[in-house]
Amino acid sequence: MMETGILFVVVFLICGLGVILAAVLPDRKNPPALAFVASLATLTLLWASGRVLFSDHAIFNSLWRVTPLIRLSIEIDRVSSFFLFITGLVFFPVSIFSAGYLKKYLGSYSLKSFALFYHLLFASIVLILIAGDVFSFFIAWEAMSILSYLLVNYEHGHEENTRSGFLMLAMSEAGTLAALVAFLIMAKTSGGIDFGSLRSLSLGQSARWGVFLLSFLGFGVKAGLVPVNSWLPRAHPAAPGNVSALLSGVILNLGIYGIIRINADFLPLKDVGQGLTVLAIGTLSALIGILYATPENDMKRMLAHSSIENMGIITAGLGAGFVFISSGHSVLGGIAFIAAFYHMANHSLYKALLFLGAATVDSRVGGRDMDRMGGLIRKMPWTSLFYLIGALSIAALPPFNGFVSEWLTLQSFLQCSALTSKGVKIAFALCGAGLALTAGLAVTCFVKAFAMSFLGMARSEAAQNASDPPHSMTIPMGILGIYCFLLGILPTYVIPQIDHVVVPFVHESALDALVPPFFTVGEGNERFPKAFVSEFHDLGAQVGSDTLPGRGLVIMHRGSTRNPVIFAMSPSYTIIVLVLLLVSGIVVVRVLTRKRALARRAAWDGGVRRLAPTMTYTATGFSNPVRVIFNAVLRPVTIQDSKETIAQHFLNAIKKDKREIHLVDRLFIRPIIDGGRLLAAWLGRMHSGRVNTYAAYVLLALMIVLMIQMLA
Amino acid sequence: MTKWVWKGLQTGIKTTAYPGSPETAAGVSPGRPGWKDPVERKKIMSLMDLCPTGALRPTEERISMDYRRCIHCFRCRRFPAEPLDWEPGYEWGEIVSNQGNLGKTFSNSLHIRIVDAGACGACLSEIGHITSPYYNIHRLGFFITPTPRTADVLLVAGPGTDHMRLPLEKVFEAMPAPKRVVAVGTCALTGGIFGKSFATRAGVGEIVPVDVEVPGCPPPPLAIIHALLVTAGRKKPPDAPSYPGTEREEGRS
Repeated sequence: MMETGILFVVVFLICGLGVILAAVLPDRKNPPALAFVASLATLTLLWASGRVLFSDHAIFNSLWRVTPLIRLSIEIDRVSSFFLFITGLVFFPVSIFSAGYLKKYLGSYSLKSFALFYHLLFASIVLILIAGDVFSFFIAWEAMSILSYLLVNYEHGHEENTRSGFLMLAMSEAGTLAALVAFLIMAKTSGGIDFGSLRSLSLGQSARWGVFLLSFLGFGVKAGLVPVNSWLPRAHPAAPGNVSALLSGVILNLGIYGIIRINADFLPLKDVGQGLTVLAIGTLSALIGILYATPENDMKRMLAHSSIENMGIITAGLGAGFVFISSGHSVLGGIAFIAAFYHMANHSLYKALLFLGAATVDSRVGGRDMDRMGGLIRKMPWTSLFYLIGALSIAALPPFNGFVSEWLTLQSFLQCSALTSKGVKIAFALCGAGLALTAGLAVTCFVKAFAMSFLGMARSEAAQNASDPPHSMTIPMGILGIYCFLLGILPTYVIPQIDHVVVPFVHESALDALVPPFFTVGEGNERFPKAFVSEFHDLGAQVGSDTLPGRGLVIMHRGSTRNPVIFAMSPSYTIIVLVLLLVSGIVVVRVLTRKRALARRAAWDGGVRRLAPTMTYTATGFSNPVRVIFNAVLRPVTIQDSKETIAQHFLNAIKKDKREIHLVDRLFIRPIIDGGRLLAAWLGRMHSGRVNTYAAYVLLALMIVLMIQMLA
Repeated sequence: MTKWVWKGLQTGIKTTAYPGSPETAAGVSPGRPGWKDPVERKKIMSLMDLCPTGALRPTEERISMDYRRCIHCFRCRRFPAEPLDWEPGYEWGEIVSNQGNLGKTFSNSLHIRIVDAGACGACLSEIGHITSPYYNIHRLGFFITPTPRTADVLLVAGPGTDHMRLPLEKVFEAMPAPKRVVAVGTCALTGGIFGKSFATRAGVGEIVPVDVEVPGCPPPPLAIIHALLVTAGRKKPPDAPSYPGTEREEGRS
């Protein structure tokens, strides 16, 4: 127990060492040093958090008292260890990747400061997750916000990047403020600011709603939820590739962590309406995210929009869980929570993988525009392979991890038949349909993302001359790809661990309901009657029970007796069947065609003299159907730029361009900005510039204060 | 909609009965020069001067008729005091290579890829008619494909311009074996009125190996259908003409 605490101390010591090394070493030696020290720190973190996660001892440690009220403490329970573990899983490959990637900045930007910020960011993220009181939480949160801003804005030479960085910082601070107010409302009644006293808190209905809305919106900024997502698609293209991977893989999760901490841990949501709000916002984020991701041609901005989508799916899963729990269906709530947590882990892994892929392509091709890529699979085979794994995972195709969690999320939505309220059922059906549409569009989006950048013909000279990066950059992607595969085929081993994490919120384990102990199921299990088990035995659910440890390889939910909705899936067996199908298919085709002559010809190109890359499909062309179908949502604005000569009667050149203003910017941000400007203009009128007026203002203010004083 | 169905039922089948029975409607084919009685020497010389493409040629005491050059200008029929006889008919498709027809496998399903190798438009217009309701080749199991990958027959019109040489070669190369090339129209056979020039070849035979020829300028749709039936092995090519004083030129020029 104490050892685990010491391990965390070691993590911080290594980070400190990293900071010192970064300051001492010259720029040239900084990237390898960063990779070495940071991977050492992440491995220690994985070890430490793994101990908490898998062996189930929570750590609570009071550090020291700053003032009588403020007592710094750390608290590591299953939830924080789960987030810490994901952080470690993502940080490890990203740190190795950075060694090779950062070389491109050598000479143009200071690598010393990058390494410095990187280690500090890592330390601050760990600190957020292990903080045991509001004070240290917000200190770490602020540090994280500012450090991530500094890292995102690392290429500060471009004005666009600086603007994106400022927007990110501004929105992040606004969110922090909202979350802080939520914490203060809670702290006011609890009398203490350590997490322990916040837990034993009872608040009125309106205060609960206030805390919920403020914390959800405040932490929602970090999670990139609609309508506070504007910074995300702007920050990602500005950030260096490895920082993008961290931003989507780790920092967005912190928003979810905040939402869970408050709304599941401190003040568990009791109102169905709150759960439905989370559900609706999640679905909306997912839908809007993917709608903007699909037509996007900038590789990193596309991934950023897709991050919004995935955060939406996670939030929708959480919302479903909240609704189930508040209406008394703990097991179903558990399933929804498991789905959401699983999806979060998956998203961190495959999004980090995709961002590393995008960073590699960006640094080798020198641009992120997918219209200018193409044919990279022949030039960068390893990068393409790993990017393909990431794309398959995020498109929720088996046998990769995205499939499992999206399937679970949608299945947990179908469980709404257990609910009684008609309105809630309709809301679930609508959100389920929205998520299904999202999943469909995600496939389109990532078929486009992979096909348009890696397949076909090279559409630019840079793409023609690209090459795979050194192995120090491909191996990290490989590690993430292996994670994606393992999480995709072994969900029955992952779900028990996640169940372990969500039990404190749900108060009932969904493990027996979700991963039935088929390998050990005996005679007298009342959950599964003998006839039912034998039926599944005939289907082969117990195949492998002699050799494999664990509960079984089938994910299954049987529903209640009133709603005997049964869903079952086994990705582990699916991969075996897929491989067998593929092999047998090849064998059958070989046998059937063994006597036939085979002629190989060049692909039919319509008989043109030479197939030019300009004649082939581009990313814009491929995604245009989506752009046309969702024209009412995307509403592109045509920008015509023409040059005229001779008294505007002759046009020299016409350049037509289409720009899309994000739906949220159009409907939410713009009105706020316009309203603010109007208000400022109206208030500005009181500045007449005459001394007499200002004296009158002072007098007026004094009188108002006095009157308030008298009344109060 | 209901009216439309009723109208259709009332009208009945208007599609040609060919190849079940011969087509007898007026104007389905312009016909071509063909005569029953021997032609005099004097008349031969006058006719020769009239023929613009050299389809009519004297050989010793007789006159030879090269259908592969005839452009149906009707000069030999209209202008002379003693016009040359023309024969009706449309079964003009001929197998010219030793590959023969496609065989039984393709007799009821033939996929056709059409390539315009510089045609003036007349042949293409006639080819367009073969899918029209009147001629309707689909009832015969013939289909036009948009890609050579699934095509069995390459239907080419036009003399074979330089610019279409490469596409034509590529199309032929892209087709899976067994494959046949059907050349449609006088231009595709001999270069026609374009002839061999700075921009065109003397027929597509110089680019791809032609298996079946359809003479005519343009050949009527029924002639094209006949050629396709010949290619599929469902119709026999016409017998050698037995008109007196006529001699067919052997081989391709």
